[in-house]
Amino acid sequence: MSDNDRSIKSKEASERDVTSESGEMVGYRQQPGKLPFSKPGSGGRNRFSKPTDYSRIPESQGGSLKQPWGPHRHDDLVSGQVIGKPTSLVDSNWKVTGQAKYGDDIRLQGEVIGRILRSPHHYARVLSIDISKALELPGVLGVATGEDAPGKFGVLPVTKDEHAMAVEKVRHVGDLVACVAAIDEPTAREACRLIEVEYEVLDSIHDIKQGLEDSENPIHDRGKYHIGDSNVQKRVFQQFGNISDMKDSSLASHESNWTFTGVNHGFTEPHAVVAHWDPSGRLTLYTPQQVPHYLHRALADVLDIPMHQINVYRTFVGGGFGGKSDPFPHEMCAAILARKTGRPVRINFDREEVFWVNRGRHPSKISMSLHADSEGRLCGIETDALIDGGAFASFGHVTTYYNGVLHTAPYEIGAFHYTGARVWTNKPASGAMRGHGAVNSRCAVETGIDDLAEQLGVDPIDFRLANLLPPHSATITGFRVTSIGMRECLERVKEESGWDEKFRKMPLGKGIGIGCGFFISGSGLPIHWDPNKFPHATVHLKIDMDGGVTVHTGAADIGQGSDTVVAQSVAEVLGLPLDMIRVRSKESDTSPVDLGSYSSRVTFMNANAAISAAMEIRNELLEATSEITGSKIEGLVIGDRRIFDKRDPAVGVSYLEALHKAQEDKGALVSSGSYRTPPMGRAHKGAAAGLAPAYSFSAYVAEVDVDVETGQTKVTKVWAAHDCGKALNPLAVEGQIIGSCHMGLGQVLSEEMKYGRTGHLLNPDLLDYKIPTVHEMPDVTPIIVESNDPEGPFGAKEAGEGPLLPILPAVVNAVYDAIGVRVSELPITPDRLYKAIERRCKSEGIGEPSDMAPPRLEFTSLQETLQRRSIDHSKRDKERRLTDSPSPYHNGALFGLDPEIPGDEQDSRWAAVVIPPDGYLEDPGLAGSAWKHTERRYRGDVE
Amino acid sequence: MVQYSLPLVPGPDKVRWNASVNGVNVDFFIDSNAILLDVLRDQSGSLGTKRGCDMGTCGCCSVMINGTPKLSCLVLAQEVRDCEITTVEGLSSGHHLHPIQQTFADCGGSQCGFCTPGFLVVSAALLEKNPSPSEAEIKTAIEGNLCRCTGYQQIVESISKASEILVSGRRVGNSTSSKSDPHPGFSGSE
Ligand code: FES
Ligand code: FES
Repeated sequence: MSDNDRSIKSKEASERDVTSESGEMVGYRQQPGKLPFSKPGSGGRNRFSKPTDYSRIPESQGGSLKQPWGPHRHDDLVSGQVIGKPTSLVDSNWKVTGQAKYGDDIRLQGEVIGRILRSPHHYARVLSIDISKALELPGVLGVATGEDAPGKFGVLPVTKDEHAMAVEKVRHVGDLVACVAAIDEPTAREACRLIEVEYEVLDSIHDIKQGLEDSENPIHDRGKYHIGDSNVQKRVFQQFGNISDMKDSSLASHESNWTFTGVNHGFTEPHAVVAHWDPSGRLTLYTPQQVPHYLHRALADVLDIPMHQINVYRTFVGGGFGGKSDPFPHEMCAAILARKTGRPVRINFDREEVFWVNRGRHPSKISMSLHADSEGRLCGIETDALIDGGAFASFGHVTTYYNGVLHTAPYEIGAFHYTGARVWTNKPASGAMRGHGAVNSRCAVETGIDDLAEQLGVDPIDFRLANLLPPHSATITGFRVTSIGMRECLERVKEESGWDEKFRKMPLGKGIGIGCGFFISGSGLPIHWDPNKFPHATVHLKIDMDGGVTVHTGAADIGQGSDTVVAQSVAEVLGLPLDMIRVRSKESDTSPVDLGSYSSRVTFMNANAAISAAMEIRNELLEATSEITGSKIEGLVIGDRRIFDKRDPAVGVSYLEALHKAQEDKGALVSSGSYRTPPMGRAHKGAAAGLAPAYSFSAYVAEVDVDVETGQTKVTKVWAAHDCGKALNPLAVEGQIIGSCHMGLGQVLSEEMKYGRTGHLLNPDLLDYKIPTVHEMPDVTPIIVESNDPEGPFGAKEAGEGPLLPILPAVVNAVYDAIGVRVSELPITPDRLYKAIERRCKSEGIGEPSDMAPPRLEFTSLQETLQRRSIDHSKRDKERRLTDSPSPYHNGALFGLDPEIPGDEQDSRWAAVVIPPDGYLEDPGLAGSAWKHTERRYRGDVE
Repeated sequence: MVQYSLPLVPGPDKVRWNASVNGVNVDFFIDSNAILLDVLRDQSGSLGTKRGCDMGTCGCCSVMINGTPKLSCLVLAQEVRDCEITTVEGLSSGHHLHPIQQTFADCGGSQCGFCTPGFLVVSAALLEKNPSPSEAEIKTAIEGNLCRCTGYQQIVESISKASEILVSGRRVGNSTSSKSDPHPGFSGSE
């Protein structure tokens, strides 16, 4: 039915409207513009509902929205309200008026100021702490040390290794030693100065390689689980497929050794926390947190009180990016001090302290070998990643896996071999940062592929297009990948950037490069497994007689717009304007448990939970309507604040009428919806790391200008395509894409945490830690690709982290295209790049950098093979994504395996190996050498 | 518990300070070495002015001093005695947002919102002087402000949209005006 028919029909319907002689409404037929009566609670501005927006209703539901990616399970819930429309954040008015309260804006009556005494040593034993002088200082209300809270905590239950304050040892400069509460900041600072601490300085380690060796004083002691006497916190060995066979059959190989420096999240709001024990003896902790629930658990452990005695209040969060996703020691300190002093305690960080907390991206050494065979297939990936965890575990357990497993897609690969190790060093801890664990190794893979394509004489985009996994497939490690928009991403950026006219064709100093990304959308397993059957996300709805909907969710809005997306989902299902939805997401007292804002899980899981909660209410409204109008429930649809009969739209009731009918016997409607991931994945050790209910894909093309005389790189233009499944709020998705570009650009061009010769952090401030300003930002063209994920809410996947990955390799590849120099160390600062230019000039005997020849490309015959294959695959992919239940496709089919059976079940050479086989240690990779140690429990020397 | 009176650590003298903050004359005693940002946040209650770094590198603390944007973390409060200070709270008139506030909300200029007060103040000052700035002028105006979330693109857009509104002379609606009616009549043809 076309739009035209529809409007004629509805006109007819309204003309047929039955009014009795007296002009009274009969039954529930309404005349346009005439209200039979007004309802209590009514009286809003917008008196007429909008006609249903058919251009937003999918074809399968009688609308006119094209569905090139097939129907979706939430299609019948689409009411054309807000999903897919650019929507400003529901809390933006708070932010733009300065009314939004961030951590340091919480001011309670009688508050005192907390300050933290930090370690001046990299590594030392704390022999004694004398707080008597500090306590004597007038104005000091309390001092706490490690003794006050000896309990350990950490974000991952398997690696709890943090204390509120030093117990026994300090492990990096800036580590917490003691804390003070005083009536004002100068007094608190002075009191910190008066605390006398006696240290025994220990030999510290700063070099990441040194962490692999045995040490007299390992930074932590994990008892029987300790790996030898080393500082190795976690090691991973994974082998799928037969790498040496694949190597033998390869036509081209790429090898590189990367050094990535650490980068910090650089959020604008420094950490701050306010703790308050109320008169009934409960603690309220106000803090900008991404994971209020994990903090809730940690607080209960450390303070030794039950969780229900604590209310975690998430304030507005001034940027998180992973940097506020651990339970932090300073949060414990505030709670301890507030308990001691009987006053609310506020701790606010200096920017320098933010760098001491860190949890930024791991400095890493990654060696990458890639192999391609004569058919232009990616027949082998070998990765060895040694990552520097700093002084604590944080998320590191997971990061160690992510550095490997997150590059087993989007390409179909012949064999995969990964060794990874994370070591402790005496630096501020590394942790999760946007693109967690995937960013550095993805950069290495994508630049490697660029090199392979060059060696093979083919276009790198065509090489990628001919090697993609199809929709509904399993990766070599057994990840279930459902929707894949990679091909569309590549095609769109290729077209929009004018790739074919530019690549390898531009003059010296001008270059263009491609990079791709693949990222999880929510993690398959929650971090806390204990009550295994708990859902990952829960949303509660409450509607009382006023008709407004209160949404309770624990999802932490950190600026990404999760409140908005949850509100949108509810509004869409119930057919309400967004202004009728209010989201309460801040307090653990009122909000259901949510695991937090990490792993790009929030939109995916919370919107799913919100949809199921709203569906319950929707059913009640439909039932009530059917009772009033006598129409069948199946025939009813929800439009803008009105529920009506599909066949005769004039028969219907307003939202409020239906609501009041539904409330007749029970008062407010309440409902609860939740989301849990489906069972997924294989059984080998570590199989759960990287499992996600959906994966996002992205492809970027970047154009750069390189000044060969100075080594200065400027990124001028970026085309950024990201497959987010379905853009629930395109405005926010574009914001995430551009923001990711900005952050990635910082890492590739200017940001680095610099450590001096003695191991000191040289740039713990925003002047020397160089975040790109508006002038460094290129013009970014965000391109949204919507692959309609079957599991996602309305088809959506993540858009917050994945878009960061491709910008690094795109820029690195563009630099090569511009000047023929491959860098293997980030950031590409002018001094580094100029040295590389000099090296090239020297080795090729070029006198002046301006005489260098930019690389050029001659296609070989392989190019045609690849193009043909990519056309075939494109057809295959289209068919697969549109069939209802496509046959299984396991990685390996391109190499002749039966696609329906996982490789390891049909051929033992494809079996997963997770412990190094004999002989491996004769010539291990750098991180692989972590396996030379034996875990203490197997060594038999520890209980 | 013992209650103490200030000052406890030998501290600076208290001096009398007055200025007009968002159109209101304030008058109180401050430390003679007090930084404007601290005075605004802790004493005059303008918590909308944010502290991102305390050393002039982030721009979150920007305020207008006699119409010129300045970093309040680098200004000695005593220096701006008797000046007119405008913070983010002073941009809207009642419940009518300043166009720049509205467009930041509409165009994605604000994500986490922590940098937003600084950007708003700086761009409001720009638009005051130059109601239709070019893209380059906008970029120059906000070069001292860091934003980690948006990548600036939507901020620049917001500012140029705001300039359109300003030039057109329209006014942003009152945010307290009545919102959607939960019991609307149905009009099929509208
Ligand atoms: S707080 Fe003033 S510039 Fe950062
Ligand atoms: S919106 Fe978060 S820093 Fe700008």
